[in-house]
Parts: sequence; C-alpha cells; structure tokens
Amino acid sequence: MFKVGIPRALLYYQYYPMWQVFFEELGAGVVISPTTTPAVLAAGSSRLVADTCLPAKVFIGHVISLVGKCDCIFIPAIRSVKNDVYNCSKFLGLPDMTRATVPESPPILDIDVDINRGKRQLYQAIYRLGRHFTWNPVKIKRAALTAWQTYQRHRQTMAGEKLMLSQVMEAREAGQRPPAKPEPYRATIAVIGHPYILFDVYVNHRIVRRLEQANIRVVTPEMLTVSELTAATARMVGGAYWTYEEEIVGAGGHYLQNTVDGVIGVMAFGCGPDSLMMDMVDRRAARLKSTPFMSITLDEHTAEAGLVTRLEAFTDMIQRRKKGR
Amino acid sequence: MGNLYVALGAMLQRLDMDYVIPPPTSQRTLALGVRHSPEGLCIPFKLTLGNLIEAAELGADTWLMPAGYGICRLGYYAKTQEQILQDIGYGHVNVVGIGVSQDKLSGLLRTVKSLSNNASWLKIISAFRFGLSKMSAMDRLERLTQKVRAVELAKGTASALLVQGVKEIDHADDYRTLKKVEKDYAEQLGQVPVDEQIKPLVVGVIGEFYVVLEPFSSFDIESELGKLGVEVRRSTFISGWTKLSYLFNPFAAKEKDRIHRAAMPYLKRDVGGDGWESVGEKVLHAGSYDGIVHLAPFTCMPEIIARNIMPRTKEDIPVLTVLCDEQMAKTGLVTRLEAFVDLLARRRRRDYNR
Repeated sequence: MFKVGIPRALLYYQYYPMWQVFFEELGAGVVISPTTTPAVLAAGSSRLVADTCLPAKVFIGHVISLVGKCDCIFIPAIRSVKNDVYNCSKFLGLPDMTRATVPESPPILDIDVDINRGKRQLYQAIYRLGRHFTWNPVKIKRAALTAWQTYQRHRQTMAGEKLMLSQVMEAREAGQRPPAKPEPYRATIAVIGHPYILFDVYVNHRIVRRLEQANIRVVTPEMLTVSELTAATARMVGGAYWTYEEEIVGAGGHYLQNTVDGVIGVMAFGCGPDSLMMDMVDRRAARLKSTPFMSITLDEHTAEAGLVTRLEAFTDMIQRRKKGR
Repeated sequence: MGNLYVALGAMLQRLDMDYVIPPPTSQRTLALGVRHSPEGLCIPFKLTLGNLIEAAELGADTWLMPAGYGICRLGYYAKTQEQILQDIGYGHVNVVGIGVSQDKLSGLLRTVKSLSNNASWLKIISAFRFGLSKMSAMDRLERLTQKVRAVELAKGTASALLVQGVKEIDHADDYRTLKKVEKDYAEQLGQVPVDEQIKPLVVGVIGEFYVVLEPFSSFDIESELGKLGVEVRRSTFISGWTKLSYLFNPFAAKEKDRIHRAAMPYLKRDVGGDGWESVGEKVLHAGSYDGIVHLAPFTCMPEIIARNIMPRTKEDIPVLTVLCDEQMAKTGLVTRLEAFVDLLARRRRRDYNR
C-alpha cells in the first residue's frame, strides 16, 4: 500500500484528523512519526541555521525520522484559512525548506492553501493533491468532504465538551472515550499558545501535566468556540492578521476577562508572530489588572528546573491571591 | 529608512502638511527602541519605534506606517507600535497603517488625501512625482558612489560627495534645481581620481530591505566594503522597493520577475518579506559576482527560510550572512568583511591561474 508520512509537528496538531481521513478515504496508508525525543530535536537542529524557531527544528527532525518509512511526505503550505489573513513565513516555506535541508527525504506532497485566492483555487489544489492517489474526481471530492466533516466534528467536540486536544488525541489513539477530569481543583489556569507547543510534551517539558499534578484545572485555546475566539480577537486588535492569531490573542483576550485565575502564555524563542501576539496579550493583561499573566519562552536549552520553579511561583501567587479575596 | 525621508519630506512639503523629520537614526534611537520593544523582534521594528519616539518628542501626532497582510510581521507593526507609544505616555498619537497589499497605490493616495485636509488630486499626484524624482536622483548618485568607492585613490571622497549631494537634493525645491544638482554631483563623482589599473572585486549586497537600505543598522557596510576596494552592487534601492515606482519604471518589475524565476527551483512561493528575492538573487548572480553579502535582521522569518535554502542551491558563490541586531559591533563586522574579501581575492587568483 502507498504510504503517506505525516510528521508529528506543527500543523499536525491542528489538522491531523482531517488529513488522516482524507488519505485513508483515498486508499492510502498514513504513517505518523513517533513523539518528539531529544534525538529528533537534535537531528532537526543539526540541519537548520541556528536561529530557526524551535517548532521548525522539531518538524525537520520528524521528517528525518520518517525517511525510509513511507513513500511520500505530506507537507502543506498554508497561507491563509480566512480572508485577509496571512501566515508565518515558515509555514509557507516549509515544503521548500524541507526539500533543501533533508535531501534524502521521500518525495514531498505539497498543497497551497490560500483562501485569499478564492475557493476555486482551493478546490483545484485539493484535486491536484488527490490526483496522486486516484483519477476519480468524485472520489476525491467525497474524501475531502468526509475529511472536512471529521475536522468540524473534532473541533466541536473539543469546544463543546471542554476537552483538551491531548485528551482527544490520546483517546483517539487508544480507541476510547476521553476520561472525565478529576474534581475538585485548587484553581483554573488558562495555558495559551499554539497546539504544537502546548501538546508536544517534550518541547514544553510537560507543562500541562505539571499543572494538573498540582491540582490545577487547565484550560486551553481549543476549548473555546470559534465565535468566542473571533469576538475576543476583535475586541483586542480589531481583526486577525495572522492565520493562527486567534489561538493566542483571541484565547488570551477571552481568558483574561473570563473566570480563570491566571493565564500562562507559552511561546517558542524565535517565533515571529508570537513575539508580537504575546506582547499584545501581555499589554492587555497589564492594563486590565484583573488576571495575572505569565509568559514562558521555550528553546532547546530551556532547563526543566527553572521552568518548574516559575510554575510553582505562579501557582503559589494565584493561591495566595484567591485566599486574600 | 536610509534617505527615504528626503523624498517623503519633499512630498509632504508640497502638500503643505506639517511634518516632523526625526533626527537621523542614532545610538539613542536604537537604545530607545530596544528599551520599549518586545525582545524577540527584529532590528527594523526597534529602530522604527525609536524613530517614532524621537518624533513624538518633537511633537508629531500622526505616523504613517506600512501595514496590511502579505508581508512578514511588518503588517502588525503599526498596531503594536501604537500600543507601545500609548503605554509609555504618548496617548494622543495615531499610527496610520497603509495597507500596502490590499489597498495598493490608490489606498495609499487616499490615506494621504485624508491627512492633507483634502488637497486636490492633482496636487497629491504632483507631490508624489516630485518625491519620486528626488528618490531616483539619490539612487543614481548612490549607484555611482558604489563604483567610485572601490577604486578611488583617496578613500572616503565619494562617500563625502554623496552625503553632500543628498543634502543638496533635500534642499532642492523645484525640478530644475533638482536636475542641476543631480547632474552636478554625477559629474563630480565622475572626476574623483581613481586607480585605473585595479579591477575591483564585485560583491552583491542582498537581503532584507530595511537593513540593506538603512546604513545605521549595518554599520554602513557598503562604505566598509568600499574601503576594502570592493565594488558593491545591489538591486534593492528605495525607488525600486516602493511598489508604486513600477508605474514609472516598468524595468523594475521585470527585474523582480527575473529574480523570482531564478528562485523557482528552490523556493516556489513568496514567503513574505524578501526571502524569495534573497534566494533568487543568489542564484541569479552566482555567475557574475565574486561574492555576496547577505544582510538579514536577527529573527527575521523570511530570511531564515532563505538562509536555510541558500546553501543548497546548485549555483555556487561565497555568501557571507551578516545578522543585524543591537548586539552587533563594528570591529567584529569589519574583521569578518576583511576575511571574506581575502577569500574572494584568493578565489579570483586561483580561477585566473587555472
């Protein structure tokens, strides 16, 4: 069987149900790279210039780990998923950057997703992608529709049942329903950031898990509905500029004004969009003076002990604040 | 940015608008910008923020900043800088974003119109034309300077002439004076005593437009190269960068096309900023230049993509990447340039002997 490789990094966390269903509907097998390990990151870092952002290094590492295990690698170039927004250069350059830095990689399947150029262009791009697997346009259309519906359901599950992406992912891989969360908790903390940072446990040193172990309920951006995110983004900056701005600015803006005891922003060093967006959230928090905000920048050198200390200090502070009220 | 202020000043003056030109970018500008910027941002953001603060100190209350999607982080800068300025106590300010991609030239003109108390269209267009001709006059002098610098007998003559020339262009009030000044200085540059024997090394300066065009951010790398006897070539000029110049100079558009086509085998899409152009220029000039100096701001996303791809192109040419940020020191830069120029000279000798 023809096998499509999907690196477990970057947009995988956003769209994996959609991609997997699409390729499986077309009769291809899907191989997903294993979770990030120190070796994966080291392999990725060795191929790229030093100031490339952490998630991109992880991504290249995953591509390298897929070499020899699949017949092609799926790397989309997503420019925009909404009108008048734009994506970080790294997502646009990803297929070409991979080709240049991992010459031994199997052929790369890329697809241009750019809503600004109109729906027709998008449909043609999907069709071209499907043509690698079948000549039958009807089959491609059906696969694309099924994939889209799966993705919608996936989003609704997380927003509706307030589930974290990691819970849904684990349940999906184990084939069960996600477990209920333990009650009661000491405090609720919103952790905001891109899913590829928040749910790559190696990259973020299990930040979510650590908070949960401290008996804290963690809420994340994907638990919010699209309309909540859009409304909060509009309040903060007028309208999204970046393709994935709502995860940061929208979620940050929403949680800063809604029922959480603290907000932690997690970003990667060298992330261009985040350096601006986290700053927006930071400034809003400083002006509102209602909810504590802490921003954590991760890179490949982040020492675990330092991170743990900061988390402890933050949760202690929140605890004291709650008592003081 | 570079000498852009001359052209904009001319334009705004013709529109009878009250404008403030902040003092030239200096160490103080940098310090101000760095202090109030988020750390992960690039040097263009920090320097422009510094410029804005210095302008605010002089009483400016409206700024024009490029904005809009389709161009790296730059589109977000107006929003962020407005917030920062408000947070540090310039609450009355207004940063006007010009959507460079979605509203194109007409949008830019309309923004200018609304700011200039509804001046007539005729006036606006003529002001624009005047600004643009100042730009192209300066660019012509700059191109000449790049050639003369490499071979002049007394180092620094051409650079001094250029500074003088730009000053006079700034003072020129009508087309006639402007033409005269341009011709005058072009002739003077042509008469600078040069060493006819030398065939200078040719180095292309490519990269992100702000650091390429703002000498302060790269310690005036072109003069430094000139002092080392290198002829600098670059295709990024202010008049070529502003997209409206395509209206007046169709060749500029063609040149861009050529660069993009050259990049195609290695980078298929525009990644924002000048990443595509950087790859394309390397490929395009691999045969014609001796070496390339690639300027990029630290953390610049499009240039990171370009830098990851550039070493893998089939067309081979030595490339020295210089990352510009507030930590850069002049001595370190000059040492690297000297080593690079030595390498190029040796390569040329080797190829000549073969």
